[in-house]
Amino acid sequence: MTYLLRRLAVFPLVLIGVSIVVFVAIRMVPGDAITAMLGTEAGLLTPAQREALAAYFGIDQPWFVQYGRWLLGLLHGNLGISSTYGKPVLDVIIERFPLTLELALLSMIIALAVGVPAGVFAATHNEKLSDLGVRVAAMIGQSTPNFVLALLIIYTLSAGFGVLPAMGEFSPLWQDPLRNLSQLILPAITLGFAFAASVTRVSRSAMLDVLSDDYVRTARSKGVSARGVIWRHALPNALIPVVTLSGIEFGYLLGGAVIVEQIYALPGLGRLVLDAILQRDYALVQGCVLFIAFNFMIVNLLVDLAYVALDPRIRLGEQ
Amino acid sequence: MRMPRAIFAHPSGRIGGFIVGLYLLLAVLGLLGLTPHDPLMQYRIDRLHAPDSTYWMGTDLFGRDVASRLMMGIGQSFTVAFFSVAFAALAGTVLGLAAAWFGRRWDGIVMRVMDVLLAFPAILLALLIVAVAGPGTWTSIVAIAIVYTPIFTRVVRGPALSLKAREFVDAARTFGSSSSYILTRHLLLNLVAPLTVQITLALAWALLTEAGLSFLGLGTQPPAASLGLMLSDSRNLMETAPWLMIFPGLAIMISILGFNLLGDALRDIFDPRMRRAIA
Amino acid sequence: MVQHLTRKLLSGMALPGIALAVMLGTAAVPIQANAATLHMAWSQDATGLDPHKQTAFSSLRLLELIYEPLVRVDANLRIVPAIADSWQFSADGKELTFKLNPKAKFQNGAAVTSADVKASFERILDEKTGAAARANFLSIASIDTPDPATVVFHLSQPDVPILTAMSDVNAAIVPAGEIAAGSVGTKAIGSGPFKLDKWDPNAKEVLSANKDWAGGATGVDGIEISVLPDETAILAAMRTKQIDFALLNDPLVATLVPKDASLQLNRVPVLAYHVLQLNPSRKPMTELKVRQAISCAIDRQDVLDTASLGEGKVTGPLTIPSLATDPSQLFCYKRDVEKAKQLMSEAGYADGFSATVIGATGEPPTAAAEAQVIQSQLAEIGVKLDIKMMELNVYVDAWLKGDFDMAIALNGGRADPYTMYNRYWTKAGNLQKVANYIDDTLDSQMQQGRAETDPAKRKAIFAEFEKHLAEVSPWIWLYTSYSYTAQQKNIAGFVPTPTGTLFSLSKVTIQQ
Repeated sequence: MTYLLRRLAVFPLVLIGVSIVVFVAIRMVPGDAITAMLGTEAGLLTPAQREALAAYFGIDQPWFVQYGRWLLGLLHGNLGISSTYGKPVLDVIIERFPLTLELALLSMIIALAVGVPAGVFAATHNEKLSDLGVRVAAMIGQSTPNFVLALLIIYTLSAGFGVLPAMGEFSPLWQDPLRNLSQLILPAITLGFAFAASVTRVSRSAMLDVLSDDYVRTARSKGVSARGVIWRHALPNALIPVVTLSGIEFGYLLGGAVIVEQIYALPGLGRLVLDAILQRDYALVQGCVLFIAFNFMIVNLLVDLAYVALDPRIRLGEQ
Repeated sequence: MRMPRAIFAHPSGRIGGFIVGLYLLLAVLGLLGLTPHDPLMQYRIDRLHAPDSTYWMGTDLFGRDVASRLMMGIGQSFTVAFFSVAFAALAGTVLGLAAAWFGRRWDGIVMRVMDVLLAFPAILLALLIVAVAGPGTWTSIVAIAIVYTPIFTRVVRGPALSLKAREFVDAARTFGSSSSYILTRHLLLNLVAPLTVQITLALAWALLTEAGLSFLGLGTQPPAASLGLMLSDSRNLMETAPWLMIFPGLAIMISILGFNLLGDALRDIFDPRMRRAIA
Repeated sequence: MVQHLTRKLLSGMALPGIALAVMLGTAAVPIQANAATLHMAWSQDATGLDPHKQTAFSSLRLLELIYEPLVRVDANLRIVPAIADSWQFSADGKELTFKLNPKAKFQNGAAVTSADVKASFERILDEKTGAAARANFLSIASIDTPDPATVVFHLSQPDVPILTAMSDVNAAIVPAGEIAAGSVGTKAIGSGPFKLDKWDPNAKEVLSANKDWAGGATGVDGIEISVLPDETAILAAMRTKQIDFALLNDPLVATLVPKDASLQLNRVPVLAYHVLQLNPSRKPMTELKVRQAISCAIDRQDVLDTASLGEGKVTGPLTIPSLATDPSQLFCYKRDVEKAKQLMSEAGYADGFSATVIGATGEPPTAAAEAQVIQSQLAEIGVKLDIKMMELNVYVDAWLKGDFDMAIALNGGRADPYTMYNRYWTKAGNLQKVANYIDDTLDSQMQQGRAETDPAKRKAIFAEFEKHLAEVSPWIWLYTSYSYTAQQKNIAGFVPTPTGTLFSLSKVTIQQ
């Protein structure tokens, strides 16, 4: 309990650190909301016009004044107004987040559904040709950059088969589940590909470890069938590292998948941040990065807790 | 040394070692300019030429030899990967040791800063750094190094903490050894194993991150080539000239495969208990 | 718990494969339940809704469907009526009178009156608005509204090009009431053919037909615009019939469109020009002979052939078809490396020099390729170029400060040469700090061209201007490319124009 409190107490500290880094970094990048809106035409503005626009975008004060103002807003639960969306930053993030969450969940489901059985299969066929096959496949899976996979999938499907899930207008899950899934399945496969490969490798090695443990041998000697040993006794223990791995990977995915979202034209968090950076929407960049960092920390905390819950041998405390 | 022999004896170490060795050779040749053609030479009349006996992997939009550019690109990508991982490992080791050794306040400060860096999505952090400093080889190196420093810090701090608590360090201290001697002699030696494994795996990630940055146009600057930039440039030519995507795509996959295999082998060699498990 | 979960996962394993096939199958059916809705895609979204502030290409294309200026230019760059039915310059060229179309109505139901016109131009001229187009309207001294259908602009000096400037959506007429309420830019209320029902930035726009539009009925009931950031994905979506109409930027993608039998590519030469901007305030580009040497050493056709697959036309400074002279008549438009080398040694740079050229990543998509071809061409006369590709905003920032040796740019064109170039090539030009070159000849040619009302005499003045500009070579004009739109073959009635406007979507129909 004190451990939990101690972990939680660090949260605000880290978040403030993250927000200062983002705040300063994004303002150090040349260009601002005015050049983002007007491009080279911004050169036609008179100084008075520039000042008026800077005041409009809230970038007319020194950065620490802006930061103070922003922090004050944050204490009142206000992340500021996005200059491109003309809406409160939190509203924009909440609109985009369900897609990212769903995509992360789908990728994880694919990774586990493929990775765990493949890993168990390889472990129980240790050193056989089929084991080698699974391992090579997993290695290749882990070595494929997801943008290469995404481009290959789109090209093969559209040019080769003339089918492609609906691009563009994205349907949320609660409006049109079938269309929604058809839109997300390929991106989820793209992201789940390398993920599944890692799960395969980890579950295979964990399974091998457990199978050599004493209690499994005991169970076997007591006449429990091979199948029973694997599924009932060995797997639950072998799953511990898989849970850790999936949790961490899931935490990353919640931050959005910039390139995959870009290629599949998905309005998720990754593209939201990238566009916000490119359009110098300072408030939105800050809000998004803070949101992503917060999620990442929560997920990591949950992973650690799950780790303890699954393995009673481990005590929380010093790492 | 026993190490090369151990790697060679290990099946995935053999394959991984061979792949990495081959790439190193290609990278060095590429960096020295010992390529079949001049990688920057634009053979105008042979634009988008399909692979044949003159151009083994075809030519690009400018009529430049893809095979030569691939060698140059491997050189470039490996340079970025090696330097960034070297810097990250160095910074991570120093910070991790400092945190473990001085404990308390230092530990708190260092680890909170690392938490801040870790909480950023990796590609976004790299993107921000590049955006601030302007793209280029050295910016990519620094950006990727900063992204991976927290991982090395953690890798070093954990074992360093438990080693510090162990008797032999106490013993050394009572015999009057200086802190720096203890740090280098005992702690570092015991950290070689986890660090080596981590470095090998980090090289694979660094290659991917460099490719991602270049893909977004924020990495290597033209006319130099890197694997990511070649892939990114080939994107809209995928149908017209598929070889522009296939060869760099394969090159990047195989190089990462090599590092992953080598990393697995090293882990087995350093940790015999896990041997059968991960091989 | 864990065991239970695993079993579930295992039993579910075979399912995703089948489900995938089913889902992809359903997705392959084109979505054309409402055939009268045009599904459109582009890779870059509009950046805002205030017609007086937005200058991004996609913003203008969107706003042109919602708002209307007083006049428009047609596919031949002639001025045609929009909100105004007719217009007249006074004999001294200092008074411009518009008669408004009595049927013109805003989408809130109110008629468009002279008061709205006056309020709109006063808003543009107000420095607090931050309208970039303000620079084009500085000659407006006062605006009179003798009756609701008549507007008189009093000009401080004869200003012929102001009429062309008024055809831009940046001079759109917005309701006076919205200006007073400060809601221009948050609500889009124009008098154009479509109403904006929904805008989800960087994702999609939904437009519906404006039944009260003075221009008559539209051909479709609505337009749905999707933002697909990757142009390869746009092409893929068109092949699978999800998208009816799309805007494309990259010639590498556009040239693939005609290979598909059901798709049609529209291309039209545009006024925008690809250019290598030299910075004549930096050594050694301060030397006329060095700049000329660079001009002679560049093979413009080769740049065009490589970077844009030959999709375009070599151009001089003037890109307006009715005014442009034959580029082969201009200084050194035929590559002459010997002459270039000689000019270099006369200037004292026989051994060449090093310089940095900047470009924006993806803006235009051909920028990096142009830089690389030019780099290899200039290497032949000893000029060593270092290429720096930057993110668009970083580039714009450096460009506006004039902080570059050379810059690869795609600069926008206007239907009138004065509006197009007064910012660079007049002594009072707002972008003199970017152009960094001016001489008396250029300035006086521009001033004469501005005041001249006789078309033949104007053409002669600008021909001299173009010849002189190419000779002093502050910039190396390269080529004009095409504006591309791709469409399904059952879409009829789209008329591409050199300004890139999509206004004719108002009359487009979908055939069954």
